[in-house]
Parts: sequence; structure tokens; C-alpha cells
Amino acid sequence: MIQVKDPFIPLTQSQLSLWTGQRMHPDAPLHNVVYTFDISGDLNPLIFKQAFQVLVDSTDILRMVFNEKDGTPYQHVRPKGAYDVETIDFTSESDGQVIQQWILERTQAPLQLSERPFDSVLLKLNETRYIWFLKLHHLITDAVSNALLYQRMESLYKRLSNEKSDEDIASPSFADYVDYEGQQREDPKNKASQKYWKANTSNAPDTPKLYGKKEDGKSTATQRVPSKLGIERTARLRELANRPVIRSWTEDLSLFTLFATVYAIYLHRVSGENRLAIGVPAHNRIEKRFQKTVGLFVEVLPIFVDIEEDDSFFTVLKRVKSETNTYLRHARAGTAPVDVKRSFNAILNYIQADFPDFWGFPTQTEWVHNGHMDSSHAIRCHIHAFNGKNDLEITFDLNESVFSGATPDHVPHHFLNLLDALLDDIDQPIGKANVVSRQESESLLGELNQSSEASVSVLKSFEQQTAQRPNAIALQDGSEILTYAVLNKRANQLAHYLQSQGIDAFSKVALQLYRSSEYIISILAVLKTGAAFIPIASDQPSDRVKYMCKNSGCSLLITEKGLNKIGKEGLKKGLDSTTVPTLVVSEVQHKISEEGTSNLEIALAPDSLAYILYTSGSTGKPKGVMILHRALSNYVQWAGQAYGVDENSVFPLFTSIGFDLTLTSTFLPLISGGRILVYKEQNQGPDISLVHVIEDNSVNVIKLTPSHLVLLSGRDLSSSYIKTMIVGGEDLKTGLATAVTSAFSKDLRIFNEYGPTEATVGCIVSEFDAGQHTGTSVPIGQSIDNLQALVLDSHKNLVPRGVVGELYLSGAGLAFGYVDDVALTAAKFVVHPFTKDAKMYRTGDLVRINTAGDFEFLGRIDDQVKLRGHRIELSDIEANLAAHPDIENCAVVVVENKKRIPENEVVNCIECGLPSNYPEIEFNQDGVCQLCTAFSNYEEKVKRYFKNDDELVRVLTSKRVQNSKYDCISLLSGGKDSTYVLARLVNMGLNVLAFTMDNGYISDQAKANVDRIVTKLGVDHVYGETPHMNEIFVDSLHRHHNVCNGCFKTIYTLSTQIALEKEIPFIVTGLSRGQFFETRLTEELFWDDTLDTVKIDNTILEARKLYHREQDAVKDLLDVSAFEDDAVFEKVQFIDFYRYSDVSLEELLAYLKDKIGWIRPTDTGRSTNCLINQVGIYVHKKEEGYSNYAFPYSWDVRLGHKTRNESLEEINEHIDETEVQRIMKEIGYETEEEPSESQKLVAYYTGDPNTSVKYLRQFLTNKLPAYMVPTLFKHMDEIPLTKNGKVDKNALQNLSSAQLSMDTPYTAPRNEIEELLEGVWKEVLQLKKVGVHDDFIALGGHSLAAIRVTARINERIEVDFPLNMVFERPTIAEYAIFIEETLTELLKI
Amino acid sequence: MNIIEKIKAYIVQSISDITPDEIDADDDLLGSGIIDSMGMMKLVIFIEEELDIKIPDADMIVENFMTLQNINDYLLQRKDVDLKQD
Repeated sequence: MIQVKDPFIPLTQSQLSLWTGQRMHPDAPLHNVVYTFDISGDLNPLIFKQAFQVLVDSTDILRMVFNEKDGTPYQHVRPKGAYDVETIDFTSESDGQVIQQWILERTQAPLQLSERPFDSVLLKLNETRYIWFLKLHHLITDAVSNALLYQRMESLYKRLSNEKSDEDIASPSFADYVDYEGQQREDPKNKASQKYWKANTSNAPDTPKLYGKKEDGKSTATQRVPSKLGIERTARLRELANRPVIRSWTEDLSLFTLFATVYAIYLHRVSGENRLAIGVPAHNRIEKRFQKTVGLFVEVLPIFVDIEEDDSFFTVLKRVKSETNTYLRHARAGTAPVDVKRSFNAILNYIQADFPDFWGFPTQTEWVHNGHMDSSHAIRCHIHAFNGKNDLEITFDLNESVFSGATPDHVPHHFLNLLDALLDDIDQPIGKANVVSRQESESLLGELNQSSEASVSVLKSFEQQTAQRPNAIALQDGSEILTYAVLNKRANQLAHYLQSQGIDAFSKVALQLYRSSEYIISILAVLKTGAAFIPIASDQPSDRVKYMCKNSGCSLLITEKGLNKIGKEGLKKGLDSTTVPTLVVSEVQHKISEEGTSNLEIALAPDSLAYILYTSGSTGKPKGVMILHRALSNYVQWAGQAYGVDENSVFPLFTSIGFDLTLTSTFLPLISGGRILVYKEQNQGPDISLVHVIEDNSVNVIKLTPSHLVLLSGRDLSSSYIKTMIVGGEDLKTGLATAVTSAFSKDLRIFNEYGPTEATVGCIVSEFDAGQHTGTSVPIGQSIDNLQALVLDSHKNLVPRGVVGELYLSGAGLAFGYVDDVALTAAKFVVHPFTKDAKMYRTGDLVRINTAGDFEFLGRIDDQVKLRGHRIELSDIEANLAAHPDIENCAVVVVENKKRIPENEVVNCIECGLPSNYPEIEFNQDGVCQLCTAFSNYEEKVKRYFKNDDELVRVLTSKRVQNSKYDCISLLSGGKDSTYVLARLVNMGLNVLAFTMDNGYISDQAKANVDRIVTKLGVDHVYGETPHMNEIFVDSLHRHHNVCNGCFKTIYTLSTQIALEKEIPFIVTGLSRGQFFETRLTEELFWDDTLDTVKIDNTILEARKLYHREQDAVKDLLDVSAFEDDAVFEKVQFIDFYRYSDVSLEELLAYLKDKIGWIRPTDTGRSTNCLINQVGIYVHKKEEGYSNYAFPYSWDVRLGHKTRNESLEEINEHIDETEVQRIMKEIGYETEEEPSESQKLVAYYTGDPNTSVKYLRQFLTNKLPAYMVPTLFKHMDEIPLTKNGKVDKNALQNLSSAQLSMDTPYTAPRNEIEELLEGVWKEVLQLKKVGVHDDFIALGGHSLAAIRVTARINERIEVDFPLNMVFERPTIAEYAIFIEETLTELLKI
Repeated sequence: MNIIEKIKAYIVQSISDITPDEIDADDDLLGSGIIDSMGMMKLVIFIEEELDIKIPDADMIVENFMTLQNINDYLLQRKDVDLKQD
């Protein structure tokens, strides 16, 4: 029965995707699928033609044509009609090339999709050899379909040759599949699979760069690189595939799994990525009825493979196997999302298509490459066995926008090297296998630019210059001008003097000097004695200088008067003159002047130590890098030539002498006959010498950092004499180099010099070329003479050209190691894997070699972070963000949320029970916390702070006036403590008004308690309430992570109002003594030698005033106008009952039971009478890790009001989470951003402050995968730099979330007072960094913290600053000015 | 109908171009090309749905799925499957 179908058939998703791809590249034959079948036999062309006619008539897809209607493509089946296979006679053609050329041209000729999407030609080569050329558009075929067509054609030919009649030979209809696919899309059975693909596609990592390059998304041009596995390898592979531990359901699936394993590892090795998505075509013919249908069924879906560093081939295989199962489970028609192809750029196509001999004639099948492929694919790997199963073929299609030069030829080798490693030993670590072949290795190792190593020391070169041009100016320092002869003479005199002081070739001499002629003289003098020098910048703190001297074992420190003696602190901790003798040259100048002036002629052996340079170490202690004369000479002699330095060169000496790039400006002029112009640093404040250098315009060569260059932006420098610029120390951005080029005159040469201190100043160098260097950063270029630069992976394998790896350096420039740190030396200077007895230095820098053969610096390896499984290059994000026109400079860091101690590892102080996850708490070896230890020192004083009952009565009756009804308000929560207070007050004969805050969550039983108690005691009682309570709770939860703070403040506010109204002079609280230490008292208050309770009370009162004026929901929502006037604090005083009354928990409970009839509520938690309290505890535990009661209860224990066990029981009480969730919903509390996110990306930038963050985020979202888009963006006035002018990522990383959300930029402390204040702020607010413009309140500072901060400042400066000053001058910068002003005033008196 | 008959019927109806007489309990479903790996996964999903069980990756091995007999044996040794109920 024939059904009439809708003639307009929609396209399947696969077809649609191909259609769109073809529309984007209308002229590219990228979807022309072409096979040639080379048939050796006397084929009958007439029968062949007939057979093909039947094939077309019986196969609807061959009559399918494609059109568009209203922008929507559709297909429809044309009626049957005559099709004549074209035959071409090549019998007279002897040249095979001609036929190949014809095939290629015909392959690439476009198909008219609206006419006939196929082409079939029979080529006659001779009477017994024919080639059937079959070309189909991919829209109507796939690999299985090609085989089906071929097999049908063969059987039709057979049938017609045997003159059999036409039986039912209709091929099943493709149109049915289109229907089926549409239904599947809607079928609820496929929901789970649709969800799987959608989730995995949207979470897919960014497609990898292969060999450092990424497909441009536009080019379709492709190179095909075929290769054969060979019979032996194929056999070994099959043997492996059939091993029980490896084999899958079918041999083909086993082979596929093995290839996918190697492919994933290959992609990992040539991209450096650890999570790979491989697009794998699914044949989609799982429905029986479509198994013989011809058409496009195949859909490409991804398999995801994670690679771990320590994987073996087998562990990857196991993962691939499991992923393949998942893939097979979900790979069904109608399940893939439209954008699935965005998730992969690498295809693995394991083709199971059989092309047997044609009617018994030997037949060779060839899949002809059309020269193109989908522009979103970078690489396709096809595995097939068209011509016999014993020799698998592997064909790579390589996108030419990714693969160029020699790389395409390397691809099969790299793949097969890994395949062979797997075949050799499937259990070996993947990192052990080599990817690059030997020939490639040789080229990567490079021929060491072995120019004969400089045998002349820098000193010798200088002395030679002196001999040649004694009267030339060598150095100018202000008005002091030294000729070579004079400089040499003075250096000789000092050297002779040093010698007389015992300095010899084994000595080390530290030089902490300002930049000056003296510094240069000293270096030369030290070298002349054969000793090594240790340059130390003038601004190094004395502790550090002391450390360097001690660590290096130096025998002398040459310094200047005034250095090392700055400040009181400096004196105390200053240099111990007994350990390192100090020489101040000016003090012994008269002696030195009498010394001899001749050269000392001490030969400096290449392997002797030239200098030790201290760089910052990750441990916080500087590490000393030991550089030999050989290394120094190698760099200096090379640089002199490469940078064209000669007797006309004038260098400024203006950068820190502790920075190794300064050695360029120190030695290059002196060995070349040129001149040094000294720019001395200021005693304090930022070094602005660069500005002077530029303004003076007296130098023609300059060595500086990119950060220096940034400072020059906006200046017109066209008249500058600077012609050579050597930039080092940091990544040089192309944009900056370009800007500099245009600011200076045209003939400026900019050299980008890369080099860690450990490889002596500079070792890889390029000259900036605006035409060539178009990337974000200027490449660092090529290695200098006698230096080898290697790019290795984490297993120390050479990586192929283009692939990112870690840079290792070897050769003459290598440091000897670190002073007195064998372990670090061994870790950084490792055995050279390719050269015997050689070492190489592990730089920690990521580099790649670009197509021009230049090294590109890509950031620090530490900058490579793993975030939620994605490996992220921070510099990548930075480069993209920097491309935004509103951004000047930026830095991206990963900020770690506070590390939590896992709950089961928390221990409690054995005395007070304070948990170990309380912030900054430390336990001594006996398990006692430092609060307890410290408390033992002031316990006596605390005791004296407390008073007795009599005093309480006296105080509370002190303001009794005629007619006043009440002596005091007693705050009654209904809990045990406040009930006891009320009862005792009544018992003392006082007139009391009980006040209970109805916060909406007092339990029924607690309320019953309250009502019973006030009745029984016969006191007046009022309830306080506010409609804003829930908002106050929510605010308190956000601000303090508890509910109590908000509730307490509401109670104080409302009860004060009543007190004012009714003229009641006192409000009595039931705060426990422990709670005093949470809210009022701090350790600092007891620091004074003599206890002055009046002073403490005044401080508490001051803090109380601040407390009521703090910004929060209570201030916003309640009437707090009464607190604006200080008078209120006179009129209504707060009295803490338990300051006067000392009662243990046991006594208290007995009293309540016997006298009052208080019943512990069973409908609330143990520590409370309030239902919402557990929400506070829950949130506090979740946000901070510990209960908000842990701290006050530890004080209750410390003060003897609770036992440790009682406290622990209460703080570890069970929380009913369902109830908590319900209440949170009820009050409208929503958790802030995912607290589980332990790490987040934060971008800091300078530039237009008005640019909206939303816009920046959008900008990056368009360029980067979502997981690389920073969570926070923070504008800064400037990016903080380390002393060496590099971005201070450490500072950026240590800002708290409060600091990040502030609008103020981070500025590090700039002077001693600011440093002192930062120290105090950090201690009290528990922060790692505080910027001088950060606001105290925004940092979480409150009145109690103000007490602590002020007490600490007062202690250190020995002045009494008032408490409110922290709020009046809420930043370190402002407070520091206040301190300075005050101190100045004091000095005047 | 027991599970093996059900599986057989399913293979014939939805997976393979073969008649019920052509499959014996000991025929190699995978090696003989009756079912390819995608088809086998389809069969696994069928069995999972039919018996309301989950077949873990580790169990998806040739030994358990090569023949109808293997499938039967595999299901028998699974304690959570009651084949008699059918």
C-alpha cells in the first residue's frame, strides 16, 4: 500500500547542520563524499548503466533534492526518470596522473542540491579495468550508506547479468526516517538522554588548541594525511583488543576503544588539556527497519575523556570504556541538542564499511578527499579497513588554519608513537611515552649557539677599557664625574683597602648602598679582590639585610650612614655588628685614599662566584642565587654585542640594585667604554627616578620593565635621545610596545629580554617588530649564545613545536644554585635528561615555540589553576580582558575561600571547649587555647571587674526619685538566665518592669513560662514588638551570620524607648559573663597594669554609643533618634546583672525550680527559649564552621559559670534542618552566592571606572568559556606591584570578600605608621591584607573591634586615642594622618 | 513468556533483520553480527526497563551478553532479579 506523503520533507538535525555548514561555504566542496572503486575485470558498461538506473529508481534518497522555502530548507523526492551514467574513455591515456587530476577536479566540482545531489561516472581505463566514480552530497549519505549503495549496485549488476527478472528491489525510504527522527525528539523516553547531551554540551570545556593553535572557525581547507598501521601493528592491536581485560562487546568496539584511548592521550599531549571531548559519529541505525536504508543517519556526538597526570594507558582505557558505554546508552536519534558540535573540534571516525569485490572482480576502494571539512573541526582521525582487515588505515584530515608547516607530517608520527607505546606496555604511565620522534627531538634540542664562551671577565673588560680610554667619562653621579682612569683608581684603592681588611677570593661582600658612584666603585673593588658581591637595595628592611648577610656568610657589609637606622624599630632590631662587620666608606676615606692605585691583577676564574642576588622566596625568606663569572661574562659580552652598546652608549642607573636587570645598566656601559648616569633614589617614598631620566634626556640606552613603560604613557617622547630600550622582568604586551614605538622617534629599537635571575639577567631575547608581532604579547624570541632553552611537559618529555610546556634552561648562564639551600637547589636545578652531566633550571614559566620559531611567554605555571576541573590560564583571561578598550591594565587571581577544618577533625580546647575551627585560634601542646593561656595572666584583674549584689542594689536605687514607679526594666526572655535575674531583682525589693521581646518565634512553652513567672512574681510586664522583625533577622543573618545580634539590638532599642517614656533610669540585662566577652569586654581592656574599672566602663559606654549608631536594619527600620543625643546614655543606663551576681548554672537551676516554678521548654533547643535561634546557629555553622555560642560559652567556662561538658553539649546540639529551612523561607532569608564554591576568579583592573561590570562580564563571555569568566571584577586606581615592579598577585589574592566588594581600590601601606595600623587591623579583623583606603566598618569592624583596635594602637604608640576615632577616621590612611598630626602636636609641647 | 523469549522477540522485532528460528540460545549474537555494539546497548536498556534493574558498566562484558544463554545466566546470578515472575 502506498501512502501519499507530504512532498515537503523537513531536514533531520544532522542534515540541517550540514545544510547550514554548506550555506556558510557555498563554494567549498566540503560535503562532497566521493568514492572510487577501481574494478579489474571486463565489466559490461551497458549492464552497469542499467543497474545504476534501477538503483536510482529504487532508492528515494538518490532522487532527493533540496530547496528552501521562506528561509527553511526542505527536501523532496523527485519522480523517477532516466539517469544515464556518464562514461569516459581513458583507454588512450597512459598517464595515471591525468586520471587522478580528473578525479580531483570532479570531486571538487560543486553539486547542485536542487537538481541532483550525486554524480556517478564510469571511467574506462582499458578493456579489463574500470573506475566507478561515485560522488554524493553528505546530505544524502554516510559511511554505512555508501557501503549499502555499493553492495546494492553490485547485486543489481549481478542480477541483471544473470538476466533475472526484477523482483521487489525497492530500498526502504529515507523519508520514513525523517518522520521517525521527529517523533524521537518528542518521545518522553528520550528525555534522560536529551538531558545528558544538553548538560554535557553546555558544560564542555573550551575546545583545545592543538599545537598551540585553534581553528579559526572559518576555513574549511584541509590537508589529508593518510598512513597505514601495517600488518604487524594491526595484528598486535587485534591481539590486544581480544585480551579479556580489554575487550568490549565486539572486536570493532574494542578496537574503537583502543583508538579512542590513544587519540585522547594524543590530544592531551598536543594541547596540554586534561579534559578532552572527542566527536564520534553514531550510526543511528538501531531501529531494525532502517538498517538497510540509504541516507544520512549518522550524528556526531561527543565522548568525554579526563586525563590525569599519573594515568597509565590502561587507566585511560578503562575510563574510555566506561565513557563509551555512556555514549552508547545515549546516542540515539533525536537526542542531541542543536549546538552539540560546539563541544568538540576533534573527530574520531571508526568506519565499519565493507566494500567487497565487485562481482568477483578484484576491487580497490578509495575514499577521495575533497580538500575541505567542517570549519569547526580542527582534526579528524579516520580508522578504516576498506581494502582488507589485516592492514588498518589511519587517515588524518587536518584543518589548515591549525596545522601548517611541518606539523601535518608530524601528526601520524605523534599518534603512532603513542599507539606503539600502548602496544609495548599498556600499563606504562602515559607520561613516559614520547610523542616527538628522534629527528624532531634533535631540532627541538637545538644546536647550542656555541659561540666560543667569553673567557674575559667583566672586570678585565672594564680594565681594558680603562687602558684604552682613560680619560673617557665612565660615570656621572650628580656633579661628580669620573673618568675611566679615576673610577679604576678609586676601585683599586678600595680593593687594596678591602684586601688589607682580609677580603680575598673566598669572601663575599654585601653592598647595601644607594645608587651612587660609591656603589659602582664598591662592586669593582670587590671583584678586584676576587670576592663576590651581594647587591642589596637601600630600602630593604634591616631584618632582611641581616638575614641575607647571615645566610650568605658574607664577611663584610659595605653600607652608608643613615641606612639601616631608620626608626625606633630599626635600632632595636638593627644589625648586630659583632656578626657582620660593617664598612662605611666615607668614614675611612682618608685611609682608602692612601692605598695603592694599581690593578690588583687577581685572575677571576670562570667558575668562581661573581655575585649573589637575593630574590623573594615562596617561604617568605629571600633566597640567594649564586652567579659565577662565567655566567655573568656570557650575558654581558653577548648583550654588549646584541644591543649594539659601544663607547657612545649612555645608560641610566635608576633601577633597584637588588634587581638583577639592573646589572645590565651596571656592566654593559663599563665593558663597552660607555657611560653610566646615576640616578639616586629618594630616602623614602616611591622611586620616581624614571621621570628624572626621561626629563633629563641624557641617556641613549635604557633597561627597564614594562611597568616602567606604562608610567611613560601619554608623554611625547619624540625628542628623546633614547634609541635602544631593553625591556625585561615581565611580560611585554604588544599594545604597550606599539604605544612606546609611536611615542618615541622612529629609530627606537626595543629588545624584549626574558630571563630569570637563576639564568643570569637575560637569556631569551627578541627585538620588537610591530609588523611581525601581532599577538597579545611580544614573543621573547630566541636563546642567547651558549644557552639552551627546552620546552618540556610535566614528565620532562619534549613537547612538539607549538605545544605549551614548561621552560627549562641550560648552559653557560645557569646559576650555581641557591645559597645554603641544597634542597631548593636540587628541586630547581635538575638533571638534564638529554645531556650527560648537565643541569637544567626549571623556570616555572609556561612557553611555546610559535611558527616563526620564537619562544612565547605564556605566564607562570602557578598561574595555571584548576577550577572546578577546568585548567585555566590566568594570563589567558588577562589578555582577553586587556583587549577591552576601557581597560588599561588588569590582573586575574584565584581567591580561595577560607579553608575549613572538616567537622570530624575539629578538636576542642581541653579547658574551655573552644573548637579548633574558631578563627585564628591556636592550641598549645597541652591542648589549651591561647585565650585560656592569655586569660591566666589577667584573670585576677577580671575578677576585680566583677562586683556583688549589694553594689547592685545600691546602683539601682541610686537614682530613685519621688513618684517614680519603677527602679528598673528587667529584660525577660523567658529563659533561665533572665528569669533568674527578674526573680532576684524582685527578691531584692526593687520595683521592676519586666520587658519581653516578642520576636514572633518565642515558643508556646516559653511564653507560658513568661506569663506564669510575671504573675507569680507579681511584676508589671510588657511585650515589645515590631513589624520589621523578619527584616531585622535577615539583616542580622547576612551581617553577623546569627539572629541574636539583630534581636538584641531590637530589644535594647525598644526597651530604651519605654525607659525614656516611663522615666526608668536602668535596664537590667541577663547577659551571661561569657556574653560580656562577646559583646563588651576584650582582653585589651585588661592590659593596663592597674585595673581602672571606671575607664573600662567609659570605654564600654563609648562603644555602646557607636553600637547604636552603626548602620544596620535596626537603624533603618526602627526609631533610633533617641540615640543621636548622648544624653540618652545618661538617662537610661544598662546594667548587666551577672556582673554583680556570681552564680553557677547548678545553683541557678535549683533556685528557678524551687522558687519560681520555671519549666525548661521542651519545644525549643536546649540553649534557648526561642525557635528562630537555631536558624542563627545553623547559618553561623554553615558560614563560619562553628556555633555562634562557642565563643561566649568558652568564656562562661573560663569564668567558672559552666563546665566544659555543659558548654560542649549545648554548642553541639542537634539542629532540625527542615524546621530551619522552613523558618528561613518564612522570614525571607536567601543564602548568598553558593558558599560551597571554594575558589573564585577575581579580575582587578585599571582604566575607566565607569565601565559597568555587567558589560565587562558580557565582553568576556563572548570570548571565553563561562568557567573562565571571573566572578568578581574590581576596579583599582593602580594594580599593586612588588618591589621589583611585578604585579603583586599575593596582595590581590589575600583580599577578603568584604574588601573585594568595596569600591575602594587596594593600596598597600606606604609608611611605618600605616604598616603599624595595618598590623593592628589585620589582627583584630582577622584579615590577611588591609588596604589603606579600606573602610573599617565595611571590613566588618564594629564597636567591640573598635575597642580592640584602639587599645592596641594606644598600647603601641603610647598615646590615648579616643575610641570613636576609628569611626571618624575609618581608613588606615586617614587614621595614620591623625596619628602623625597628634604626634607632631605632642612634640611641639 | 520468559525473559529469554522476550529478549529474542525484541531482537527480532526491533534490532536485527533475522527470524526467531535463526537464533539459538547458544548463538554468538555479537560475533556473528546479529547485534552490533549500539544494538547491544539498546538491548541492555530493554532488559533494564523490562526488569527494572540497572546493569553496571562492569557487567557489560562479552561473557554476560554473548549468547541468549549467557544473558539468562547473568540475570539468574543477579540476586535482585526474579525471573520466575514472568
